[in-house]
Amino acid sequence: MDNLEVGTEGSALQDSAAIKLDKDKLKASGKCGEMRSISDPCWTQELMPPLSNLCLQSIVSNFEENPIVEQLRPGEKDFILKHLFTDLPLHMTANLISDGVYWRRCCERQWDLCDVSDYGHSWKRMFFERRLESMIELFIPDASDPEVILDMVQHCRDYIKRLSISQLLLSDNESSADHFDFGILLDKLTSLEELHLIYRVKKCGMNFEWKMLEMSDRDCESLAKAIESCKTLKRLRLQLSNIDDNQCHLLVKYLLDHPSLRELDFSHNLISDGGAKAIAELLTRSKLEILNLFDNDIRDKGAKAIAQALSENSTLLSLNLRLNRVKDEGGQAISEALLKNNTLHHLHLGANKVTGPTAVALSEVLAQNNILRSINLSCNNLGELNEAVVKHPSFRLSLC
Amino acid sequence: MEEVDMDPEKASEPENVEVKSRVFTLEDDKDPGVELSGEMSEKRLQEREKISPRRITNLQRHLTTLVTNIQTAADARESMRRKELEEARKMRLELLENDMKSSQEKFEEITRGWSLTKEKVSAQELQEALNNQQLLLTSLLEDKKKVIDELQQELKLGDDHFVKDLKKQAEERDLMLERMEDQIKTLTKAYREELAQTQSVNQRETKDLLTNDTSDWEQRMKKLWDTEQARLAQRRKTVEEYEAKIHSLIFETMDKQTATKIEQNAKLQVLEREHQKTLASIIVVRLNQIKEKHELEVLTSSRVDSLQTEKKNAVAKPNNQPRKTSQSLSKDYKQSVQQYERLQKKLKQIVVADARTFEEMWATVEAEVRQLAERALEIDSLICRQHFGVAWERPPMPLAASSSSFHTERQTHRPARRAVSQLYHTEQSLQRSSQRTTMGVDAETESADVDHASMGGTATQSEGDAELEDGTLTLETVTKVMELLWEEVGFLMEDDPTLLASLEKEEQTAIKLGSLLFSFGIEEEDLPKLAHFLLKYRQQQSEQTERVCDETGESSDQAAAFDPTSDLIHPNHVLPALKSFLNQYMKSRQNSCQSSVVHTEGRGSSEDKAYWESLGNVIPDSKVQLWEEAEKTLTQYIVILTDICALDTETDSLRQQNAELRMLLQQSLNPQVCHVTHQ
Repeated sequence: MDNLEVGTEGSALQDSAAIKLDKDKLKASGKCGEMRSISDPCWTQELMPPLSNLCLQSIVSNFEENPIVEQLRPGEKDFILKHLFTDLPLHMTANLISDGVYWRRCCERQWDLCDVSDYGHSWKRMFFERRLESMIELFIPDASDPEVILDMVQHCRDYIKRLSISQLLLSDNESSADHFDFGILLDKLTSLEELHLIYRVKKCGMNFEWKMLEMSDRDCESLAKAIESCKTLKRLRLQLSNIDDNQCHLLVKYLLDHPSLRELDFSHNLISDGGAKAIAELLTRSKLEILNLFDNDIRDKGAKAIAQALSENSTLLSLNLRLNRVKDEGGQAISEALLKNNTLHHLHLGANKVTGPTAVALSEVLAQNNILRSINLSCNNLGELNEAVVKHPSFRLSLC
Repeated sequence: MEEVDMDPEKASEPENVEVKSRVFTLEDDKDPGVELSGEMSEKRLQEREKISPRRITNLQRHLTTLVTNIQTAADARESMRRKELEEARKMRLELLENDMKSSQEKFEEITRGWSLTKEKVSAQELQEALNNQQLLLTSLLEDKKKVIDELQQELKLGDDHFVKDLKKQAEERDLMLERMEDQIKTLTKAYREELAQTQSVNQRETKDLLTNDTSDWEQRMKKLWDTEQARLAQRRKTVEEYEAKIHSLIFETMDKQTATKIEQNAKLQVLEREHQKTLASIIVVRLNQIKEKHELEVLTSSRVDSLQTEKKNAVAKPNNQPRKTSQSLSKDYKQSVQQYERLQKKLKQIVVADARTFEEMWATVEAEVRQLAERALEIDSLICRQHFGVAWERPPMPLAASSSSFHTERQTHRPARRAVSQLYHTEQSLQRSSQRTTMGVDAETESADVDHASMGGTATQSEGDAELEDGTLTLETVTKVMELLWEEVGFLMEDDPTLLASLEKEEQTAIKLGSLLFSFGIEEEDLPKLAHFLLKYRQQQSEQTERVCDETGESSDQAAAFDPTSDLIHPNHVLPALKSFLNQYMKSRQNSCQSSVVHTEGRGSSEDKAYWESLGNVIPDSKVQLWEEAEKTLTQYIVILTDICALDTETDSLRQQNAELRMLLQQSLNPQVCHVTHQ
């Protein structure tokens, strides 16, 4: 070790001597420089880079072996970050280089459109999230190695707050219908707050199969367990995934005691009264604030269950039941629940085949409830309007 | 299953129309606004300013309402579709149920037929029954087929409908996009207008502000300018006034000052005059004092004589009273003598100093003049030799020749020379004094009397022995000389002939000599010296007169008058001899101060004058003329020489050029030659 150091020192000395010699040469052959300037019109004295720049260049080129960033002065640091290669291994750069120019360069090199405002103005977060998303979206079960993803997750777990995955591929094996297993991933992402999932395959073309557009029961169970293991999750969106009552039941079962979940979005699924009942049970136990169930198949029974839960709930702020089949019975049940509820701000009952009796019931609710800010009853055949609805202050009513 | 493909951007036809019409109305609202903005009436503008924000917010709200409208429209459509689907399903289910019922009945009929056929025994019956059954089955199958066809047709219809829906939706989407673009366009247009309006309003405001400010500025500047000018004029006026005042003050003060000056001058002059007067009076007083002193001296000297006689008388008959007076007088006398001595000392010092300075001056001036003369002679010699080619001879100048030795001579022989000049001078003075005596003018001062007396004394003494030459003087000769002296000089001392006559001859002479010597200030020990000198004087006189005759020629007759052969000193010569002795005696006694006085006097002599003149005229007038001529020619010559010099340089340069040209020629020739040779 000592010898090695001595050697390096010696080499450094030699280098300095060499540099000195070069300088002497330059001095001695000032004429040479002039000659060159005469022969080469582009050559000027300023083109000669200063020694400090050369040093920084060498640091950049040898960064993989000897990463030096924090010891440098701010100007030099900027130089390094501007010139560092963006294809350096992540295990080195992830924790060494803070958010800034380098990560911006990485992002812009990989993607054309980079809207950093979507990622909390953090280029680093954007880089890791998008990278992990793309890795998961292109993951083929039984073919890809999950270790690659896990290896990356090891370095970037602190920087990923949101995962929005727009497709999940299936394995080539005809018999299995399972997707990527989130159980191996979610418990390692220690700062994940949002999870958007769509179980589908984009651009499937002529290979279309129904199982491409739905999650299997095993998928559902693994996902439910994974979500339960991710204690920081606040927002869960499972859209366009053809979730039926059983799957919904399974998911809700694992979500019942989740400590941080605040928003649940099961829109564009096939949840019917059974699922609605399960969700109603969730409403009574968790601290959900926003619940999106639009474009499902919830009917009067499910609505009644939700209404029952709503009457006891004190955390829910927004309930969206658009494009369901609540009908007057469900609507009336919800109206009665709202008489007891003191927290709900927004209610969407658009396209639910609600008619006059619900409107009347709602008008009664509006007469005493001061917390509701908006009720959407569009695409319903309400008949005559009650005057009380219109008179309510600071209230937005959408009718169609 | 078709619900999955539901698009949130679906919109119904009537909704589109409605939104479109709304947009149009907005545009209609806007158009007149644009025209009016062209007119730019201020009232309108203000109104518009009030309206425009509201309009913008309206537009923005329209944007969002468009989206919500689309959404609700899609929802409505979706719900409608679902309703239709549900109805269709219901109808289908009913149809299927009916079909199932009818087919069930038929199936039961068939099964019943099969049991009937079992009862039948005959083949024919069996055949019939089989045929019936077959008929029934085919009808059943046909029914089923029909249902299947219907369902398939329905499916087809559904597909067609789906495709149609997709197409429609695509069209609608395009339309919606167009509309959104339109809306965005109108919005941007509105924003632009707003911007232009605000800009124009701003510009106008700034313009107004600017004009207001500039006008204000100008007004204020004008005011300021006016006030400043007024102030300036005022200041100028005040300045002029002050100037006039200052001028007048200056004149006044000048007048006052001159007046005071004149007064002061007058006072000063008066004071000066008074001062001078006082000075004059002081001088007069001093002069009087001096005169008195002199008189006192004279009186004392005479009184001493008288006192001596009185003393003698007093010896004869002693008297107490005069002794006292004599004592007091002698005191006075002593004092006066002391004073006199002091004065004389002073005089001597002054004279010595003068003499020294004179000597130095003389020496330096002489040296300078000599140098100048030498230079002139040198120049003359140069001129003579080099320009006239004549051998130059040193002009016959004894003084010039001896000039080099003169200085040293003077140094060494000064005493002799001095003695000579001194004697010469004494002679002259003696002549004068003798003349004076012959004229019969009695000497007014006692000194003159003394002179005469001494003259007489010396005359008598000159009859002394020749032995005196040897320096050994016998008493006889001395007495003889003294007698002679007395006889010659005694006439001066006619104090008391009666008193002398009473005495014997020897006593008489003794007394006379004593008085004489006393008057001369010579002591008795010096008597032999005097005698010796007188005898010597005779010999010297003869030599000196000769030399003096050589030099001046004035005293030639005197020289003739002197008889060199006389044994004793000639009685006539006694007086000068005595005088000279006295002089020498005094000199020996009182250092060399008197001699220097005499010496300085001797400097003014004609000999020196001639010497100086000779030095001045080293170069005669003829030579000077010659010199001038020579100078003229020389100046001409110099002019010519300078011309030549100038030309010389030119020739030099030309020569150089020539050489260079020659070199070039050679160089140019050489390579050619080389070339030629190479070829």
